[in-house]
Amino acid sequence: MTELSRRATPARLGLAQRARLRAATLAGDAAALVSRALGKGSGASIRGQLLTRLDPNAFRELVKGRRIMSVTGTNGKTTTTHLLAAAVRTALGEEAGRCVTNADGANLHYGIASALAKARKADLAVIETDERVVKDMIAHGRPEVLVLLNFSRDQLDRNHEIKFLGRAWRQALEAAGPDGPVVIANSDDPLVTWAAEKAHRVVWVDTASTWSADAAMCPQCGAMLDRTDPSEDAPTGRWNCPECDLTEHEASYAVHGPLIELPDGRRVDPKLNVPGKFNISNAACALAAAAQWGIDPDVALVGFRTVSAPAGRFSTATIAGATVRLVLSKNPAGWAESLPLVQTDPVILAIDSVAADGKDVSWLWDVDFEQLRGRHVICSGPRAYDLAVRLSYAEVDHRVLVDLEDALRAVASGPQPVDIVATYTPFQKLLKMGGLR
Amino acid sequence: MSEAAESPVKIVLVYQSLLGIYGDQGNAKILKKRLDWRGIPAEVLMIEPGEPLPSDGAVYLLGGGEDNAQTTAVRELKRDGHLFEALADGAVLFAVCAGYQICGKTFTIGENDEVREGLGVLDVTTVRGPERAVGEILTRWEHPDGTSTLISGFENHGGWTTLGPGARPLARVEVGIGNANDGTEGAVQGKVVGTYPHGPVLARNPELADHLLTLALGRELEPLPDVQAEHDALRAERAAFVRR
Ligand SMILES: [Zn+2]
Repeated sequence: MTELSRRATPARLGLAQRARLRAATLAGDAAALVSRALGKGSGASIRGQLLTRLDPNAFRELVKGRRIMSVTGTNGKTTTTHLLAAAVRTALGEEAGRCVTNADGANLHYGIASALAKARKADLAVIETDERVVKDMIAHGRPEVLVLLNFSRDQLDRNHEIKFLGRAWRQALEAAGPDGPVVIANSDDPLVTWAAEKAHRVVWVDTASTWSADAAMCPQCGAMLDRTDPSEDAPTGRWNCPECDLTEHEASYAVHGPLIELPDGRRVDPKLNVPGKFNISNAACALAAAAQWGIDPDVALVGFRTVSAPAGRFSTATIAGATVRLVLSKNPAGWAESLPLVQTDPVILAIDSVAADGKDVSWLWDVDFEQLRGRHVICSGPRAYDLAVRLSYAEVDHRVLVDLEDALRAVASGPQPVDIVATYTPFQKLLKMGGLR
Repeated sequence: MSEAAESPVKIVLVYQSLLGIYGDQGNAKILKKRLDWRGIPAEVLMIEPGEPLPSDGAVYLLGGGEDNAQTTAVRELKRDGHLFEALADGAVLFAVCAGYQICGKTFTIGENDEVREGLGVLDVTTVRGPERAVGEILTRWEHPDGTSTLISGFENHGGWTTLGPGARPLARVEVGIGNANDGTEGAVQGKVVGTYPHGPVLARNPELADHLLTLALGRELEPLPDVQAEHDALRAERAAFVRR
């Protein structure tokens, strides 16, 4: 516990700064209270928006004076943040209150500011960080640990080139130099590797990832990457650039089926209460991060097992008379991971395309919906018709019920629970309808 | 039936790992299924860089990708050469987004607008536009007999394309940017068809899918009423969305 017992040096803010931050925090709290009273959700986002409007430096001021672990990547950041925060709190025992986290998944500047404003006394922070905020987090929060999970196509209507974000991380790590974070990096991912190489210290984690569709070319020199034949421990093969020095690193932590191999060679069974192979990968990254604060893997695992429905993912709710399990999928890599978990017949798939979902649904054609053949799918959400056409060409039996409540009512008389996989916006709607947020 | 008629129609999906970020493999799935449903044997060949392209494909498909992927794809396709042989033999090339740009004479990449030579199978040139074109697009595809069909899709491109005398536009823009915010969208030259909307575009535009198949097979195809109803519902929903 020596590493964890070390307290952060409190931030020194000027009187005026402190007064402004306090006023902004109070206004944010009041707005959140109103929002909750009106039944408009937790109010976290309203609190953060008002707070950062009244004090534009709130993010910078609130991340100061804490010891921070930051978690980012296209997929898995919410669950990994929950696992890591649970490990830290378990290790802290009675002092669990020293650790703050943005458990609701609000991971932009204002969401992070909102979570931190609520826990001014907490000197330890485990922060889910949007890919676009990583640069500022490194520059202002000086995190001790940065977890880089993965990079894949996501919302290309907004992030036109995924390499752009990788380059921003790389530059931020280079600028931070020896004061920068220890990076926990997924060695399977060439873009993560390229970004992480500028960190002064990296702990590599072999996550046995299954998605390589966005990693054909070397992010450093543009050559086609070589890949070895796939195996059980390396479903997409090991990668290497034939033209430059970028190559897959030997990892200290590695995923082998359901087990995680630790640096001492011991293999542990995480026995998580969140499903899916990808969560074993997330747990491996969280174990490596926890070790940086001296947390014993066995203690971390005890913490991990307290996590069952991070920010509502995989939670069960009864809505419109139907009992359903809620699964969130945000992009093709996410769908590739979540579809094999859905086993019910019928199954509801809910698709939207407002800004938070990505306005372009072309990704529907990158997802292997063919695996649902033999089951009945209810297509719901504003983009149900796009999904219906996709399913016709996959020869999957289906019908369209655009309204979510109609879709739920349609399954209320049959066998339950029914799995629902949803993009971001319908997922948030379902949480609200189910009283889960 | 002669033996030749029974050999499957080859749909060649070119370099998915480079040019496939917008669900572009969907266009191949759609073409194949529309032949399957009509009892016409067909197969999809997915060819990656380093593997030789077949020269006897009926339809070749190029999709969307990032700048560096475009340069690599052009280099590999020129080194391989089979695509040019196939086009000379009357094959159809359907090129979308970045794939459309590389079919032209030149295109530019990066913030410094480095000029790259394209495949030269469409008389078009592409340079970086004053703004990125991102969003729903609706165009009108005019047919030789005076009728027209709406084409619905999603465009996402930084390059703006100008047509030379050798190519003619595929369609007229109703909503969106298209080639260069000049009212035109896409380009047609012989059996090469280039267009910006991905989506993938054939999922929303089955008439365009059948047009490509008709060009490739040299005969008309019967309608597919079952799936057409679903396409129509999607097309109506999208057209209403962009026009509101
Ligand atoms: Zn390289």
